[in-house]
Amino acid sequence: MKVNSPHSPADHEMTLLQERLDLLSREHRGTLRALDSIILESGELRRVNVAVMNILEDLEEEKRRSLDAQSALLNMLEDIEEERSKVERTRAVLEAVNRELEAFSYTVSHDLRAPLRAISGFSRAIVEDCSEALDEEGRRYLELIQDNVHRMGVLIDGLLAFSRIGRQGMNTSDIDMDAMVDEVFHEIMAQEPGRDVQFVHAPMPPLNGDALMFRQVLVNLLSNAVKFTRGCERAVIEVGYAADVEGGAYYVRDNGTGFDMQYADKLFGVFERLHLAEEFEGNGVGLALVERIIARHGGRVWATSVLGEGSTFFFTTSGVKMA
Amino acid sequence: MIAAKDNEIMLVEDDPNDAELIMRAFRKGKLATKVVHLRDGVEAMDYMTNARGGLGMARLPKVIVLDLKLPRLNGLEVLQRLKSDALTKDVPVVMLTSSQEESDIAKAYALGANSYITKPIEFDAFSKTVMDMGAYWLRLNRTKRRYEGDM
Repeated sequence: MKVNSPHSPADHEMTLLQERLDLLSREHRGTLRALDSIILESGELRRVNVAVMNILEDLEEEKRRSLDAQSALLNMLEDIEEERSKVERTRAVLEAVNRELEAFSYTVSHDLRAPLRAISGFSRAIVEDCSEALDEEGRRYLELIQDNVHRMGVLIDGLLAFSRIGRQGMNTSDIDMDAMVDEVFHEIMAQEPGRDVQFVHAPMPPLNGDALMFRQVLVNLLSNAVKFTRGCERAVIEVGYAADVEGGAYYVRDNGTGFDMQYADKLFGVFERLHLAEEFEGNGVGLALVERIIARHGGRVWATSVLGEGSTFFFTTSGVKMA
Repeated sequence: MIAAKDNEIMLVEDDPNDAELIMRAFRKGKLATKVVHLRDGVEAMDYMTNARGGLGMARLPKVIVLDLKLPRLNGLEVLQRLKSDALTKDVPVVMLTSSQEESDIAKAYALGANSYITKPIEFDAFSKTVMDMGAYWLRLNRTKRRYEGDM
């Protein structure tokens, strides 16, 4: 940068000023660029003074802006602090809920089981000790009492299993879903000797999660699929991973009885059943457990179905490991 | 030889239904000649103190079936006292519990429990298990006593 007229009276001052402006402009690049051209064109000190005033104003503005930024930053820090204490409060509430759940499951296991055990025991004692005093009908009623004790026992155990999933610590590792799904399917089929089910297994990516919990998810989904294809001429169960569904979802599909989609939101509730207990047995917590486990892994589970044609259960998880 | 009439079982159980059903099972199974039922830990400890104080070791029960959750002195506390007393530590203790809390099971074994039974809902399997455990420990006790007698 050079001054145009070396003989002007303010030559010396102008050069000095120019140097200082150069320095300033290096420090405040951008704000001073317009100023350079004004000085070069007029060479008049007066204009320079105005320009310097402008610089000072700019600097003032800069300072004000930086103070604003500083107070904005302080506000932000306050917000973060508030957010943090909110999270802390939520955590405390969650811990309290957890403790309540623990107390609840203890109550269920202890206080509800005890009277049921007494009903079971004494009705058995009547059968054994007083059978001569009973007629056919009396004995049948006692059998019904036993059956119902058994059913209630299954419900209580289901409720316990459900409450345990929530408070259980997570033990995560990488899970080979392909291997696990085969293993679980063969285990289930081993208990269904009369059944012939076609198993279609498309490859699935591995995931990071609690292996015992995901095993439970597969056991529940696959045993449902096996259960609800019981009446099928040719039962087909498909498992795999749909990369195009909600950013990638594992699925278990069957061609069984299916369910009416208008009840889809009831599917994952505790003790909600969409079929009669006489038709399809179950404790009513299987899918509730699945939902709980998937939620704990940052995922979602849902199902689509056509009545009489089958259902597909999808689940996602934040732990999918794509190659 | 130890006569069958020496088979005394001590049952410590606060639930009257469970107690009656367990006693019935013992009676029907002719497992023991005498079943003493105590309703909490304090009663149990008092009974043990009297048994050893008055009539010595011969009057101690051969098996103790001990509920985990008891009023006043709980099952684990009773277990600890029994197992830390030189005279009573060899009496087999079968713990009964209605919860499946792993920490309870671990604590009971750490304190020297000999067996552990979770009360199921259906009584059939339960009374059979209690009987089997009782029979096992009675038998083991008798064999051990006979062996020591021979020495």
